[in-house]
Amino acid sequence: MSKITRRDFLKIAGAASAAGVLGHAALARAAEGGKGSARVVVVGGGFGGATCTKYLRRLDPGIAVTLVEPNAKFITCPFSNLVLGGLRTMDSITHGFDALKKKHGVNVMHDTVTAIDAAGKKVTLKSGKTLSYDRLVVSPGIDFKFDTIEGYSEKAAEIMPHAWKAGPQTVLLQSKLKAMKDGGVVVIAAPANPFRCPPGPYERAGMIAHYLKEHKPKSKVLILDAKDAFSKQGLFLDGWKKVYGDMIEWVPGAKGGVVMAVDTKKMVVDTTLDKHKAAVVNLIPPQTAGKIALASGLADDKGWCPVDPRTFESKMQPGVHVIGDSSIAGALPKSAFAASSEAKMCAAAIVALFKGETPAESSLVNTCYSLIAPKYGISVAGVYKVTEKGITEVPGAGGVSPKDAPDSFRENEAKYTVGWYQSITADIWG
Amino acid sequence: MRFKNHTLTLLLGAALVGCATEPPPAPAKAAAPTAAVAPAPAAVTPPAPPPTPAAVRNMISTCYSCHGTDGRSAGSIPGLTGMNAKQAETMLKGFKSGELPATVMMRLAKGYTDAELEALANYIGTNLK
Ligand SMILES: Cc1cc2nc3c(=O)[nH]c(=O)nc-3n(C[C@H](O)[C@H](O)[C@H](O)COP(=O)(O)OP(=O)(O)OC[C@H]3O[C@@H](n4cnc5c(N)ncnc54)[C@H](O)[C@@H]3O)c2cc1C
Ligand code: HEC
Repeated sequence: MSKITRRDFLKIAGAASAAGVLGHAALARAAEGGKGSARVVVVGGGFGGATCTKYLRRLDPGIAVTLVEPNAKFITCPFSNLVLGGLRTMDSITHGFDALKKKHGVNVMHDTVTAIDAAGKKVTLKSGKTLSYDRLVVSPGIDFKFDTIEGYSEKAAEIMPHAWKAGPQTVLLQSKLKAMKDGGVVVIAAPANPFRCPPGPYERAGMIAHYLKEHKPKSKVLILDAKDAFSKQGLFLDGWKKVYGDMIEWVPGAKGGVVMAVDTKKMVVDTTLDKHKAAVVNLIPPQTAGKIALASGLADDKGWCPVDPRTFESKMQPGVHVIGDSSIAGALPKSAFAASSEAKMCAAAIVALFKGETPAESSLVNTCYSLIAPKYGISVAGVYKVTEKGITEVPGAGGVSPKDAPDSFRENEAKYTVGWYQSITADIWG
Repeated sequence: MRFKNHTLTLLLGAALVGCATEPPPAPAKAAAPTAAVAPAPAAVTPPAPPPTPAAVRNMISTCYSCHGTDGRSAGSIPGLTGMNAKQAETMLKGFKSGELPATVMMRLAKGYTDAELEALANYIGTNLK
């Protein structure tokens, strides 16, 4: 919380060079009486990146923080399923960067990072500009492995949307749901682990069923799953039955859920066992870390980024921290909550490292709320610590909402789902 | 609000009178010597040391995703402002033991040692206004 003054920098820099521990660029500049302060560049203004910029500035307003994000506004994946259910508008899940700029002094650049030079400590932007940094934070989310399903591609996603990045894809899926005739089948193809938002496809099934129940009650939702088990499974299955009867059917991988190919002309989905003709297909492809992470040598051969569990510094490129969905964060799932929690620990660690201190013990939390219906909420929660095994869940804590809870409990969790969204988005972009 | 009032009457009612105004120093003092004289409870491991101030800042920052930045809630989840350390501690320990009914806090509070909950409560009472 303390504000680092120039004199503090001088003291730290003096001590550090005397001890021969650090020769940090920022400290060196300060010691030379230059006007530079420590510079952090953050790639991506989503849940991980935007949180990191705000918390860096809160912890140490002496740090110059630049955020690079191509979009003028950020549309959240959380609550995009509620848009499909008709509970929310796109507008209500869209957040700007004004508060980060004006209230928190973050330098926001609407541009795209095209290359990272970890050795030279600089990034190149699409506009041609370059930015030098003392530490870089990368939180680019995910990208898709389009070619793993025959007949699917980025172009095919215009016919069978993934809607796994919120924005035009969400609107497209919604328009297809609105255009379909009553009595049709909506297929949701869910990927194998690991992927962004483990409960997401199942929350989506409920929200689509909510829309169909009101507007097209003879229709069905068919989940074709590459997995044999999924997040909050018991709670989802109970809730679906209770609220939607037989409207939602889940097919596990072992029973023919694995999608092998699609035909976008005939609107047919091919699995290991059957062919399914659908009115609307929502195909969620397997994923990797964001493209920029892959292109910069930050990812392993499976396409995700190994990091130090305490500082989130890349194990592949020094001085570069990777947070959010792109990182391999031990037991934490790929969620918005986790990304924001990781960003706070990363920010605190960077502030400590700039001061030549050992980062404090971290503490991470995740909670994923899901709505089955407007007044039916469920959750999974966990508290995480860093041990010699990496980021691990504190045993005896966390877990899912109780099984046979009364309606009032589900209703309270639905209310808190909305409360969570309001608080976390204000905590990040407010 | 409803929750907090409910919680406090439920838990503080008899045992910890006076919490709503100021933390009473007497019970704490009275408890200390008794504990010192009494034979050590059957604890297998020594109690964890209290977390450092920087570790507490890390810990409390994760609460803000639900309770709002600096405990100022933006929605239906109760905020963490306007309570003193003793009140916060009583509630957090009540969530952990299960005495205090909750939807999610009972699952989260179990993830912290008593020393950590006390440190969090202190932070809430001192810094979140
Ligand atoms: C349908 C759905 C529902 C979900 N619901 C929930 C939920 O209820 N709760 C929950 O906790 N999580 C939820 N999630 C998961 C959550 O959306 C992600 O885990 C979270 O967004 C991850 O944060 P991130 O910072 O890694 O990536 P993002 O939030 O996706 O942010 C990445 C940002 O980086 C930018 N970027 C990418 N490349 C570059 C580049 N080269 N240069 C500059 N900028 C770049 C992108 O434009 C983007 O703004 C949901 C996901 C989906 C798909
Ligand atoms: C996933 C969201 C979530 C997170 C994270 C969370 N809380 Fe809570 N908290 C709640 C909810 C919801 C309630 C209301 C009780 C319930 O239903 O669990 C609550 C209640 C409380 C209360 C009682 C408030 C009152 O006035 O009744 C305290 C104190 C509290 N939380 C402290 C914390 C602390 C400290 C942390 C961080 C270690 C934390 N909470 C993290 C959701 C959360």
